[in-house]
Amino acid sequence: MNLAAIPSYFPKLMTAFPVTIRITVESVIFSLLIGALVSVGSLSKNKAIAGIAKGYIAFMRGIPTLILIFLLYLGLPQVMKRIGINMQGISTITYIIATLSLSTSANMAEMMRASYLAVNKGQLEAAYSVGMTFRTAFRRIIFPQAFGIAIPTLGNNIIMMFKETSLAFTVGVIDLLGKGRAISSASYGSNRLEVYIACGIIFWLCVLILERVTKFTENIYTRGRKQATAK
Amino acid sequence: MDFPFMLQALPEIIKAIPVTFFMAVAATAVGWILGLFIALIRRAKTPGISQVLAVFVSFMRGVPLVILLYIAYYALPTMIYSYGLSIGREIDVSGVPAILYAITALVLDQAAYSSEIFRSALGSVDEGQLEAAYSVGMTKTQAMIRIILPQAFAVAVPNLGGLFVGLVKGTSLAYYVGVYEITATAQLLALPKLNYIEAYIMTTVIYEVISIIFNKVFNVAENSLKRFRGVATA
Repeated sequence: MNLAAIPSYFPKLMTAFPVTIRITVESVIFSLLIGALVSVGSLSKNKAIAGIAKGYIAFMRGIPTLILIFLLYLGLPQVMKRIGINMQGISTITYIIATLSLSTSANMAEMMRASYLAVNKGQLEAAYSVGMTFRTAFRRIIFPQAFGIAIPTLGNNIIMMFKETSLAFTVGVIDLLGKGRAISSASYGSNRLEVYIACGIIFWLCVLILERVTKFTENIYTRGRKQATAK
Repeated sequence: MDFPFMLQALPEIIKAIPVTFFMAVAATAVGWILGLFIALIRRAKTPGISQVLAVFVSFMRGVPLVILLYIAYYALPTMIYSYGLSIGREIDVSGVPAILYAITALVLDQAAYSSEIFRSALGSVDEGQLEAAYSVGMTKTQAMIRIILPQAFAVAVPNLGGLFVGLVKGTSLAYYVGVYEITATAQLLALPKLNYIEAYIMTTVIYEVISIIFNKVFNVAENSLKRFRGVATA
């Protein structure tokens, strides 16, 4: 093993970095959208809707991401073909974004639900008492406080998803790890260990940066705000 | 749906469950003990070792499991081989089963994650508890084993449960280093006739059932350990 050669792989690997970023950003957006819907469902007074939402969360938390990738990438086109829909034109990156959005949406939903419930109920009552509608109260009173509570979990969810983007290679997307595999197979595997270590270091540094950004955002956001959590 | 295939394949996939469990249990048993020691050393702020461990934990938490598995799979054979040479023996590395490399990667991963759980659990036990233990004449070890650890453990259980279920899901990645656990077996069976949807629905059900069972088990454990809590969290 040639440890000194590891840094020399960084420039080549980084050419695939935009793909990893694209997967992360798009998956975060979609998982937040799906998560918001699911969290509204799980808070619903309608037992059937709440049950479905909670079932969805439990299901997504129980299935390994790899299996979900295979289900969507290998299984879904087969099912669709049988009912006459051709999914061949869909790019592999779409499958990976769909998988990560679905699997992370459960965590996002739980995060939103917990932060919503963490805001003291009295806050909503107080807002009603000054004549706000639920919409206004949510937008101006509940959400700003719940968001502050959610920041650390949000950061953690994004970090976990960012690490899972490394599974994109399983469907042939050339992301960081996909590029790493391509580099190592181009040299018949002679430098694979160095390449994988280089990949690992890039992921590590990104996670460190994401952790810092989370902490920083939390500090900026919660500065001067009173914690209004239900105790 | 190809039901004859499902009936034929299901017993084969079920046969692979022990492989998944073996990896998960071995990684937990070794990893969590290591994690506890890491947490204790970092808590004691032993100069030098404490900082090295902090970097280790940060690295293990920052690198995706699949990369960790690859690194273990390609680095360990060379390491074992050169260790063999240093003690004057030529070890046949190709005879080492892949599952060993997978378990090593999972152990390191678990050690890092569980150490963070133990660290915060130890931190949640009130300092006064230790002082009280000293005041009745306990030594530091006694106080740790009898007073602090049981309380910290009760606090840690819910998070450890989540970690374990995550680990079982993570073992599916061992497929990429050639371990024939649930996922790899399903993939292999699906290949000849492209029965992907059937194979993965069965796999999904198996993983879901495993998650449900372990979530229940850890819930029960959490409730029965509740008597250690309450007083502990300051």
